[in-house]
Amino acid sequence: MTPAISSQHLSKTYKFKGGSVQALDDVSFDIPEGETYGLIGRNGAGKTTFLRITGTLLMPTSGTALVLGFDIRTEEREIRKRIAMVPQESRPLYFATTEQLIDGYLEMRGMERTETRRRRNDVIDELGLGDVRRRLVSRLSGGQRRRVMVAMVLASDAEFLFLDEPTTGLDPIARREVWAAIGHATRDRRTVLLTTHYLDEAEALSAHLALLEAGRLRVEGSPESIRARVQLPYRVTLDSSWSAEELASYGTVAPLVNGHLLFTREKEAREIVQAALKRGSQVALSPVTLEDIFLQLVGRPLDEETEAQVEET
Amino acid sequence: MSERNRLRSFLSIVYLNGILPMRSQPLYLVNTIASPLAFLFFVYVASHGALLAFGITGGLILTILTTGTGIQSDLVHYKQDLKFQDVVVASPVEAPVYVAGMAFSEFVYAVPGLALFIALSLVRIPGAPASGMHYTLEGSLTLFGTLVLVWAFASALGFTIATYFQDIRETFVFSPLLSLILTTVPPVYYPIQYIPADLRWAAYLSPTTYAADLVHRALCTVASSAGPSCYEAPSWSATALDWGVLVGLTAILFFLAATKARWREP
Repeated sequence: MTPAISSQHLSKTYKFKGGSVQALDDVSFDIPEGETYGLIGRNGAGKTTFLRITGTLLMPTSGTALVLGFDIRTEEREIRKRIAMVPQESRPLYFATTEQLIDGYLEMRGMERTETRRRRNDVIDELGLGDVRRRLVSRLSGGQRRRVMVAMVLASDAEFLFLDEPTTGLDPIARREVWAAIGHATRDRRTVLLTTHYLDEAEALSAHLALLEAGRLRVEGSPESIRARVQLPYRVTLDSSWSAEELASYGTVAPLVNGHLLFTREKEAREIVQAALKRGSQVALSPVTLEDIFLQLVGRPLDEETEAQVEET
Repeated sequence: MSERNRLRSFLSIVYLNGILPMRSQPLYLVNTIASPLAFLFFVYVASHGALLAFGITGGLILTILTTGTGIQSDLVHYKQDLKFQDVVVASPVEAPVYVAGMAFSEFVYAVPGLALFIALSLVRIPGAPASGMHYTLEGSLTLFGTLVLVWAFASALGFTIATYFQDIRETFVFSPLLSLILTTVPPVYYPIQYIPADLRWAAYLSPTTYAADLVHRALCTVASSAGPSCYEAPSWSATALDWGVLVGLTAILFFLAATKARWREP
């Protein structure tokens, strides 16, 4: 099966007065067709640069990528016929209503009017935008505007959707509605490349994930396979009746406000839980989250920024 | 994209960028005609009506030229603030269709201003020797052709420049500068004879001088009451030079737009 994207030694260096920043460094991996693929990483890790290059908005410095079998360097027109994108921090044209904007976008892509109306009505229902369908976009909340942007591309006939942080700024309910709509897109066998900060979102939506850090691919695979690669696959939270020194022999300890977070292996996890129950202290055991995996692999939390952030955004 | 789809795409851009904003905020139209009308008023008062025809032709040229500065700010706003251009680039819409749609939607804004100035040129004002003009077929075609060329080169220039700007504030600096160089200083609102003879060459560095030349002739040579503000009958060579410069410049700016504008970031 041809991958939706085959990235081949993709690199990008942004040059500016007095220096340069390497936003992508020899990134090679494949994105399978017909599924949602999550690209995760901190701000400035290279997610948006990767998306902009494969979405034919930006030329790479070296390397190339095949999108739906077409070369991004020479066959961008063929790619553009088949893709749609919600860029990071994009906003809809504010003097149109929700309906006018979706119709305008679809007709701009060359869609017939009757088909435009049908797809627009479907997506409005699906994303819960019925109440604001005839309201000017300038009078919508930030979350509603974001949903309108997502609605535009979901209503399109594109085979491949690029969504750059599509739920940033949305409340939890609106996020779930967008998630459901993205899920619907892949039920139609469309490919979705999703960049996100929210690891719960990446895990909930993506069949496969890639973690970028400082422009390099750190890990790639299904959420389960990534979890399996982690050396300390369990997280144990313990109250402050334990000291960090006591826990150090069981694994890696991180401080919490009222206790400790311990990353450990299965055997040690059982031992510490039994010891905690015997002592009568509060304890909770669960598999590591993607956030924990990120912390273990990168060594820094997700909300820390990198040097390339300004260039990338 | 088929020709039919290109047309649909073009019309939807005109609708989104031209018709909808105009319908939701008609005051945009006042903004388009405010400067040309202010200049006309000043020229009319300062010349005691003698330069009315020049004020009107200047108004026509400035109105159509603002489509170039308008497209510049709209494109930068859509690209940098709304990221709408990224949405368009990552779609089947081709750059020429997008630019044509944006340029035509700016033209839609200019239409009421153009209609106003043409209407003013037809009104006979007592005491104003060059008022109440009559349009011949040749004069009308000259006027139409000149305005189309000015619109085309202003749009191509505006598009090319806009793709290099990183912030809309850069257009706040550049647009008035462009306006100054192309309409305020050159002999668009006044006769070139007002410039000292040994400095007239400088006026011919501006393409709008040639456009104004053509429009002045188109209007004044057919005026029923051709007064002191009007030209004498044009020579064939002067007319050919005017057309040649405008067509040549438009071709060069289209070439630059096609080869140098940044549709895809390097």
